This record gives sequence, C-alpha cells and structure tokens, in this order.
Amino acid sequence: MIMSSAPTGTTVAESVGAYSAPTLRRIVAAEWTKLLGLRSPIVIGLATVVGAGLLTYLSANASSGDPGFDPTAGLLDGMSVAFIGPLVLGVLVGTGEFSTGAFRSTFAAVPRRLPVLAAQAIVTAGFVFLMAVLAAGTSVLGILPAAASRNITPDLFGDGTPQGLLGAVSFHVAMGLLGVAIGALLRRPVPALVTAIVLMLILPLVAVLAADLTTDPLAASRSGTVSAQTAAVNTVVTFTPIGAGSTLMAPGPSAEGGPDLGSWGALLVLAAWVALPLVPAAFRLRRRDLV
Amino acid sequence: MIENVAAARPSIDEHPDMTQAGRRVAPASARGGPTFGRVLAAERIKLTSVSSTGWIAAGTVVAAVTLAFGLSLFVRPGSATSGISLAVSGYLLAQLGMLVLGVLVGAGEFSTGMSATTFAAVPRRLPVLGAQVLLTALVALLTASVSLLASILVTSCARGSSGLALNVTDPETVRVAVGFVLFLTGLAVLGVGVGALLRQPGAALMAAVGLLLVADQLLAANPGYVADTVRAVLPAGGARMFADDAGLAALAAGPGPNFGAWGGGLVLAAWMVAALVAAGYRLRWRDVT
Repeated sequence: MIMSSAPTGTTVAESVGAYSAPTLRRIVAAEWTKLLGLRSPIVIGLATVVGAGLLTYLSANASSGDPGFDPTAGLLDGMSVAFIGPLVLGVLVGTGEFSTGAFRSTFAAVPRRLPVLAAQAIVTAGFVFLMAVLAAGTSVLGILPAAASRNITPDLFGDGTPQGLLGAVSFHVAMGLLGVAIGALLRRPVPALVTAIVLMLILPLVAVLAADLTTDPLAASRSGTVSAQTAAVNTVVTFTPIGAGSTLMAPGPSAEGGPDLGSWGALLVLAAWVALPLVPAAFRLRRRDLV
Repeated sequence: MIENVAAARPSIDEHPDMTQAGRRVAPASARGGPTFGRVLAAERIKLTSVSSTGWIAAGTVVAAVTLAFGLSLFVRPGSATSGISLAVSGYLLAQLGMLVLGVLVGAGEFSTGMSATTFAAVPRRLPVLGAQVLLTALVALLTASVSLLASILVTSCARGSSGLALNVTDPETVRVAVGFVLFLTGLAVLGVGVGALLRQPGAALMAAVGLLLVADQLLAANPGYVADTVRAVLPAGGARMFADDAGLAALAAGPGPNFGAWGGGLVLAAWMVAALVAAGYRLRWRDVT
C-alpha cells in the first residue's frame, strides 16, 4: 500500500518518515476507541460492578444473624467471584481483532504488531482498574445494610481491609491481562473462553475433589495433622491463579499445608500466569501469519 | 425463491427446448418440501464436516478419562467415595466439552452466516432445530458412553488396590453410570438451546457456564434454605443423577428441597425444554439474520 501510494522518486523510508510511524500513545488511543466503541465492554463492566455489590450484599445479609458477625470479613465475597467479568473482557479484547477481521486494518496501520498487543494490555488494565475500583465501592455499599442491622460501624481502615481491597483490584487487573493473553494466543473466542474457564473455574473444583479424596474423615479428626497428599494438593492450589488471588485478597496461609506466598509473592505468581500465555502470544503475533 | 421458479414455469414450458431443463427443477409442491429425514441428513453433513465436532468429542473423552485417572491416584483405602463415583469424576471437564459442542451446533448457523442458506432451504425453520437437537444428543450420548467405559477401565487399577470394586448389579452403580451419561447428553442439548437462543457462541457459552457452574459454586459457598432451594432448581441440579447415595442423603438432610436423583434429572430436562422453546420461538417468529 505504502509502496504504491508513494510518489515516484521518494523511497519507502522517506514516505513512512513523512507520516511519522504510529507511536504507542496513538495506538493506545486507537485501542481505547475500539474498546469503548463496543457495547459488550460496557455491559460486562456494569455487570461486574453491580454483580460484585449485589453478591456482597446477599452474602453479608445471609450471615448477619451469626454471632460474632464481622461485616468486613465478607467484604470481598462479591469481588472474589466477579473476576469472571474482567477475564471475559480480556478474552474479548484479545480475540476481537481476529474474530471480526479488524486485524487487517490494525496491522496494516501498525506493521510492527507488538505495540498493538501492548496497547491492548494497557487499555484492558486501565478499564479493568476502573471497573474494579467501582466494584470495590459497590462491595463497601453492599455490607452497609447488614452492618447497620447489627449496629456495627464497619472499620474499613483496619485489620488488613485496605490491603484486601487493593489485592482484589490487583487480582481483577491480572485477570483482565490473563484474558488478553489467552485471547491473543488462541485468537478465537470459544477456545480462549474454554481455556480461561478450565483454568479459573474447573481446576479449583478438581483440587477440591482431589483434596476430598485424600482426606480420610476419621483420621483427620483423630490426629489433627494434614496428610502429605492433602498438603501437596493445597500447595498446588496456592500456585494456581485462583489460589494466588485469594492470597492477595486475604493475606495469610491460604490452605492447610500450603505455603504462605505473601502479597508480593502472590502478585509474582499472577504475573507469571499472565506471562505464560502472553509470551507465546507475542511470538505468534510477531513471527507468524495473522490469519 | 421457490415461488419465482413456480411462476416462471409456464413460460419455460412453452419453449420446447427449455422443457427438459425446466422439468428437472420440480416445483416445491411435487417434492413435498424438505422432509425431516432430509433436514436430518443435511444437519448430519454439517456436523460431521467441521473438524471441531470430532475434536470436541475426542477432547471431552480424553479430558474426562485423564481427570478420572488423575483423581484415582489420590484414592486411599479410607477415602469416602464409591468405585463408580471415582469413575464418573471426569464429569468436571466433560460437562464443559458437552456445553461447547451444543453451543457451537446451536449458534454455528448464525456466526458463519450459514443461516441465510439453511432457512431458505427449510423455510419452516423449526425442523432444523429439531434435527440439531437429535444429532447433538446422539454425539453427546456416544461421547459420554465412551468416556464412562474408558474411565471405568483406567480407574480399575486404583479401585482394585483401594477396595472400590464395581458391581454392575448394584442399583447405585447402575444409576450413577446412567445418570452420568444422561447428564452430559442433557447439557449438550441445553447448549444447543442456549446457542440457538443467543446466536453468538461466546455469549452463549458464558451464559451456559454462568448458569451451570458459577451460580452453583456461588450458592454452594453460602448454604442455607434459599441458596439450597435455588441450587436444586438450577441446571446443576441434574448432577444429582450421578451423585452417590451418601451424597444424596446429605442433600436430603440439608434445608433445600429433596427431589431425589431423577427429580434432579427432571430439573435439567425442564431447563433444556425452556431453552429450546425460547430458541424455537425466536427462530420461528423473529428474523434469522
């Protein structure tokens, strides 16, 4: 295209130089327009924010009758499930180019390709950050009625609550990035969604089943110790994205026999889970055909 | 289209050279319209000529069998499970495969643009949905049966060493085995309904997963009368068809309604019918493009 449109006598380099190559800033602006130009990100964002608040409200109300009820204990009940919103949003951003055919124009405009993936990651992180902050806000609103019914003023600034909220927001951002990476790697929405669902929803259930099988109900109550197999299962769980996410939201040893990663360790584990599909996705984008 | 051909016929017949060519395209009334058998044959070709069908079926079997084998490595003599429960534990992954199979069949027409051709050929439309349901159920039935038999085989070693032998004359074993196959088949049909209703594979898959997995997990984390009642009437209630007797007894002792194993199956069937009726309504009365 550039070759044919370049006036005779000028080289390709000169004509590209005249345009000035697309800067990352302009690519981010383009990706932001693409994201907000669709209805689905707005719908997913609203569903996540409202859903997180509603689930927290229902969960807090259900447990408000318990003796020793602590409203801040259930503050993240909604956000610990609402990560599905950012994950799906990320998958849609990552696969959107390819499922609609927009990739033809996009990568004609940005022939170096990789800046597009970077811009998608930046835009998704930014959008999910906004979503997650709002979801944290609706979660706080969600515990207020239950707290008021027991005449408790929830203490939002003590006992690791700010840290948990920050962890939940980071977890949501990581889920958005994981979605982008899986989507960009697989390029088709259904395989990407299936991969994300298996990783985030099915694997935890498998771990629960495996832990159940290793636990002899009689032996456990007798000795009070954790069997080696249960500890092995729980160690694996700690290093899954869900395990790292729950460590972020509720710092401390996550499960019986599992190691304590700490908040920074959990962030590193999540970053590794994002990098795992992102690196091959970048390789595929840079080196392989687009269709 | 067909009306135009019929209207053009008299003028073709008047021309002697064109008569033979005109006769070859018999009027729709003479052919009796597309019969259900022919719609079924067309859908079978569509289903078997895309590679994803075979991959999903094979992937589901491999995933279910691998998971059952993997979990069997954790079994110890004291484990509170039965032999058949261990063999059907691959359902955790297999349920997703069956949903994807159904969603792709139900939504595939619309995501590829095939719907314009299909519903020009079958203007009554509903037979297409019927044929898709029948064929998907058949593929799912085969996939689930193969998964079950292969899972029983690969877990035999672990079951033997833990005293979890299978007895095919035991009513619990038979119920769990049949329930497993029926549950997976039902999920595939539910997938067709949701896919044909929403027409976008991604949206349909997320809706089905949300209904089946997310809602159930969420409610399981907050047990109580309301949560247990809602759980019992969600599609995941169908999983009671292959819960072992101890699991059913625990559910019956809980605060939720007790439908029993086959009652859970009826709940799933009701969801299937509801999704298909909604999809059929949209298909029959609304635009197909």
